[in-house]
Amino acid sequence: MASKQVPLIETVDLRKSYFSEELETAVLHGLNLTINEEEFVSIMGPSGSGKSTLMHILGFLDQPTSGKYLFRGEATRTMTDDELAAIRATRVSFVFQAFNLLPRTTVLENVMLPLLYHPTIPASERRDRAMHAIETVGLGDRATYYTNQLSGGQQQRTAIARALVTEPDVIFADEPTGNLDSKSGNQVMEAIQELHAAGGRTIILVTHEQNTAQHAKRIIHLRDGHIDSDTTKFKRLNAKKNHNLTK
Amino acid sequence: MLYSDIYQTAKSAILAHRMRSLLTMLGIIIGVGSTVLMVSVGRSFERYILDQVESFSSHLIEVYPTGFEKFGRSTDSLTFSDYEAVKKLSTVESVAPVIFVTEKVVYGTEEVSPYVFGTTKEFFNNYSLKVEDGRILNDADVSGARSVAVLAAQAAEDLFGDKNPVGERIRVGERFYTVVGVMQSLGSALLQDLDTPVYVPFTTARAQTGQKFLSYMSMKSTIDDDALAMADITSLLRQRHSIENPDNDYDKDDFRARSAAQATEIVGTVGLGLTAFIGLIAGISLVVGGIGIMNIMLVSVSERTREIGLRKAVGATRQDILRQFLMEAVSLTLLGGIIGIIGGASIGALLAAIASKFIGHVPFVLSIPALIAAVSMALGTGLVFGLYPARKAAEKSPMEAIRWEG
Ligand SMILES: Nc1ncnc2c1ncn2[C@@H]1O[C@H](COP(=O)(O)OP(=O)(O)OP(=O)(O)O)[C@@H](O)[C@H]1O
Ligand SMILES: [Mg+2]
Repeated sequence: MASKQVPLIETVDLRKSYFSEELETAVLHGLNLTINEEEFVSIMGPSGSGKSTLMHILGFLDQPTSGKYLFRGEATRTMTDDELAAIRATRVSFVFQAFNLLPRTTVLENVMLPLLYHPTIPASERRDRAMHAIETVGLGDRATYYTNQLSGGQQQRTAIARALVTEPDVIFADEPTGNLDSKSGNQVMEAIQELHAAGGRTIILVTHEQNTAQHAKRIIHLRDGHIDSDTTKFKRLNAKKNHNLTK
Repeated sequence: MLYSDIYQTAKSAILAHRMRSLLTMLGIIIGVGSTVLMVSVGRSFERYILDQVESFSSHLIEVYPTGFEKFGRSTDSLTFSDYEAVKKLSTVESVAPVIFVTEKVVYGTEEVSPYVFGTTKEFFNNYSLKVEDGRILNDADVSGARSVAVLAAQAAEDLFGDKNPVGERIRVGERFYTVVGVMQSLGSALLQDLDTPVYVPFTTARAQTGQKFLSYMSMKSTIDDDALAMADITSLLRQRHSIENPDNDYDKDDFRARSAAQATEIVGTVGLGLTAFIGLIAGISLVVGGIGIMNIMLVSVSERTREIGLRKAVGATRQDILRQFLMEAVSLTLLGGIIGIIGGASIGALLAAIASKFIGHVPFVLSIPALIAAVSMALGTGLVFGLYPARKAAEKSPMEAIRWEG
């Protein structure tokens, strides 16, 4: 069908406030944003501008205070806990700046964790899929290591393996290299880039560094909870790609 | 989520936090173990007392003068003809008259002051006393008023040490007796008194003391209802003593009949009190154990809330989380509970075995209600303090849970 393509992610007047003891901190002030499938988007902006807050909402880890969030054209506000869990299990994955691996467990166990909650992947395939994801990020020889026996870069690559093991539609990475030195940061970025190059996957990456952001074809700048700018490089190439997709 | 996955997840969560799991289980083990131990010790001791009393006292009835029990009342009320009349009652058998001889007993340089019972062969039957060596008193001893004596175990040891007393002569007051038998020890702390007397024929004792009245009578009822037999005896003796007492005012009687079953009931009440007291201590250990379990679980809430957030972030449903935590709590409780039960029961059985060496057979009674109460307590605390925070955490959004700090 050549009709209008449904965007992967669409927000309308998305707002988020944190409340603590009746005190309201408004963080996102009505964001309108559209992200299509297979895009590689970088989100930049000063500290405290609301990048993580936005990522958590888009990655189904938190709820917006108001506004619409449509995922593959479906309103998320009315979804039940089980429906949200199913999307987290199958369609989206998150890579945190702070790794957030399960403590006192091995690389393999961490990477197998999302498969435990996956509704369709059979238990018998879990180990092979996890090993494959671990090899993809270059940790094949570390699968049985406990996470506290790994370097920061290796821990983050474990987190990336955990994110891609379910073959999700979209991977959110919130400053994945923020806690790493430049060398392991580069390794992590390579892994993310390869993932995108392999095709079929949307990547949304938050970063402080211009170099890292350059990996993406589209850069969104946030400032004080507003979209400051939204620029797409190689516009023609991107348009062509979108054209291909809608064919 | 598959059942086996829930099990595996709970298992690896338990194993990943060995210290936390161990401490939780320790609370359960101590709570359950000490409860089971305490209550079982109480129950065993109670059983021991009841066994002891019942072993020699089934259908035993004793009749004694009121003065025996109440200071200032006469001890001279039961006569030999009373004994002969009671013997004819169909509701009792094996009636034994007793006269106390209050004299010192001497052998060589050894001198003791035991109870000296002037009685008949029925007495040995009534208290289930068994011969160790020689024989008990017989009818000929009584009819012939022979100067023979039978020693209870402790009396024999006190007078003769390791020497065999049978055939030896002892002196009771001014009179010499030949020892014809030694009784077995009852081997029980509770029944120590029955190991100390010296028995002589009733007639010989009566002649030596010049006593007209009986010190007391013992007998067995022939019917199951001891109270009925006692009523029979009481009305017979009231009639013989010309006592009008339709209201059963025991103060008007000059004698008193009592069954050992009554004594057993009293002991049973004491035992029940003991169990209640021990139950209280057990209750305290339950609470202490419960607080231990609770503390460990509450201390780990932050860590566990983060874990729950993480699991939800990768796709776990609320149900998945709750099932995992339920499985963890139940596994820890059951494992800890079983170890606690085995531990508590083993120590209890060991204590019973050790006590048996000193005070006669102590049966080990495992208290099932205590066991159930203990495990329910552990399960209850585990569920409340393990599941409640887990439920709260599972209701948060993944990010709220991951960032939660309590
Ligand atoms: N749980 C929370 N409760 C209250 N305020 C919060 C909470 N999380 C974030 N904020 C506030 O929201 C604002 C945006 O935070 P956010 O983490 O989204 O910023 P960011 O753009 O990711 O910053 P950084 O680059 O430092 O990670 C900040 O001012 C922060 O103080
Ligand atoms: Mg951030």
